[in-house]
Amino acid sequence: MTREEQVKEVGRRAGARVVGIAAVEAFRAKVPEGYRPEDILPGARSVVVAGGDGPTAGAWRSPDHRVMEITGYDLRENVAVHAMCDFIETTLSYRAIQAPSLPVHGHEPPMSMMHAAELAGLGTRSLAAHIILNPEYGLLYYAALITTLPLEPDPPLAEPACPHPGCAAMYKRIGTTPCLRVCPACLAGKVNDGRIQESTYDREKCHSRAQTYGIGSFQKGLLQIVNEDDPARRRTMIYGDFFTKSLQSLGFFRDSIAQCFECMRVCPVGRKYRKLQ
Amino acid sequence: MSPLPPNATATLKSVALKSGALVCGVADAAVFAARAPEKQRPDDLLPGARSVVVVGGAQPREGDWAATSPWVLQTMGTTERIQGVGRRLAQYIESELGYYALYVPPGTASGDTPFLSLMLAAELAGLGSKSLAGPVLNREHGFMYWSAVITTAPFESDRLEAEPACPAPPCREMWEREGTTPCLKTCPSSEGGCLSGKLENGRAVRTFYDAARCNTRVHTHWVGGFQKVLEETLNEPDRDRRKMLLYGDFFTRSLWAITYSSTNIAQCFECMRVCPAAHGLKEMK
Amino acid sequence: MSVFKLDPDVYKRYKDQVLELCNSFQRIDRPGLSDKQIAERLGLDERTVTEIRCVAERDCYSLDEWEKAIEFKRKATLEWSALALKRPDLKPE
Repeated sequence: MTREEQVKEVGRRAGARVVGIAAVEAFRAKVPEGYRPEDILPGARSVVVAGGDGPTAGAWRSPDHRVMEITGYDLRENVAVHAMCDFIETTLSYRAIQAPSLPVHGHEPPMSMMHAAELAGLGTRSLAAHIILNPEYGLLYYAALITTLPLEPDPPLAEPACPHPGCAAMYKRIGTTPCLRVCPACLAGKVNDGRIQESTYDREKCHSRAQTYGIGSFQKGLLQIVNEDDPARRRTMIYGDFFTKSLQSLGFFRDSIAQCFECMRVCPVGRKYRKLQ
Repeated sequence: MSPLPPNATATLKSVALKSGALVCGVADAAVFAARAPEKQRPDDLLPGARSVVVVGGAQPREGDWAATSPWVLQTMGTTERIQGVGRRLAQYIESELGYYALYVPPGTASGDTPFLSLMLAAELAGLGSKSLAGPVLNREHGFMYWSAVITTAPFESDRLEAEPACPAPPCREMWEREGTTPCLKTCPSSEGGCLSGKLENGRAVRTFYDAARCNTRVHTHWVGGFQKVLEETLNEPDRDRRKMLLYGDFFTRSLWAITYSSTNIAQCFECMRVCPAAHGLKEMK
Repeated sequence: MSVFKLDPDVYKRYKDQVLELCNSFQRIDRPGLSDKQIAERLGLDERTVTEIRCVAERDCYSLDEWEKAIEFKRKATLEWSALALKRPDLKPE
């Protein structure tokens, strides 16, 4: 087994659906200084990216939108990253770290997992919030590690996963695609000759949907509360459903990481894996 | 009460290591009385406690120490990985051996007070000794995270570590030369830091640790910061300024840290980063 | 020295520009600028840009948008369910 195959096998056995490798140099083209793997780990040579499964097929079928809001992540791709880091350090004696991906200043993480997944050949950007779609599995969740271990990188995908031929045909017919039609508030785009010609994404509007109950809603709710002079009205805000759910989502964060999937629900990429009995 | 099967302690340690711990030791529950304050002793949590099983591991990797981005250690913490081992051992002791076992909750009982000092438990289980900077260091593995299980099972206790890892030889030499050590120099209480101390004949004879200040560093974005901003906001008469506080970088980051608490548990490692006994004990590429 | 508080006047003056230049409104062909890059462009220091951006991200839409989000998801889920699960009874009003 090559080193690349060894590392990937460790990741897959730990629960990753897909594993890909990118060279650190590849990040220089589009990533500003300070956010590149080599800025995070001196001597970094490779970035290994693990993609993990999203919601189960059953969850996608629930007509109750609250299910998908709190169906939770098992964070399997992070487990895979830890397993690979342990293997790289203890067995191969190269340095490895879990790439920091949590937002640390507002909505900004120290490193983009989406971009890492693209460069590691695991998917391409889509019309739907620029979510990285894996051509086989569709929506996957990504985590990465940075290492001083030199590994042969995987090439970025030559063919984009989006638009799906069905969506390209739909755009030709009626000037829209399933995701653009379901969420015009956050998304806009154009398809030409079966390729994305233009695509925009309003992240802040999407935040009110993907994180309806969370840190942002807590802050907004709290500001309203502190600005309310009437104690009775303040009371109803503090104990009301919205603020209560906001606090619950902080406490049960694993269950509330992503709370809107409507653009992905209508996406045909990877849908065959959602057709069960 | 049926006796433990032969080799029960060795088997327990084997289970611990197979479950992911790097080290496993046992302390006699009775010895905590001399060092732990009331209400933080094994018997306070589990009446009839005979042993405290301690596991260590899941420490930051060499890559984490070498990372130049402070966000790596602050947001991708690995403490939680050893807690699962502790839980598993508690279940093992109860299901396989039939004795009561209590996994020590890693959080606080009230304020900043833990249920049981995991660091003291690690020392008493022979897994390490207190350093000048505070954390318990293991001679072979350096800085580690700990988890503990209190049990009525009478496991064989381990002896205390005979030779402390701290001060390490380079630190003793530095003290002779400069009157300080790497950790004391990085975070000196005389300059607004948390630590001071004194070595004599290669041993620490005095240590000082400002826990409240350290809290602002280890838990920069945490409950305390949240409370401070909330207080400031409530005292701020201008509504626009209130928005600046509640939507600002510090409060937002604090909420992220509280939400993703499992990986944001510790946010300052500078005394350990410079410690030659804490990490770097294995050659890496 | 108290907690860092952004001057509301500075915030109001620069918030739209910062939002425009960062990753809030994304185009697939153009990455947003980092806080440092935005600071250089606007003649501000990086810390101030970070602070403006954090406040502006949260301030961009009012709580009404959160209400709309709840309703949007409820309806979109039901509409899809009615169609994909062949359950016209689920179609929202």
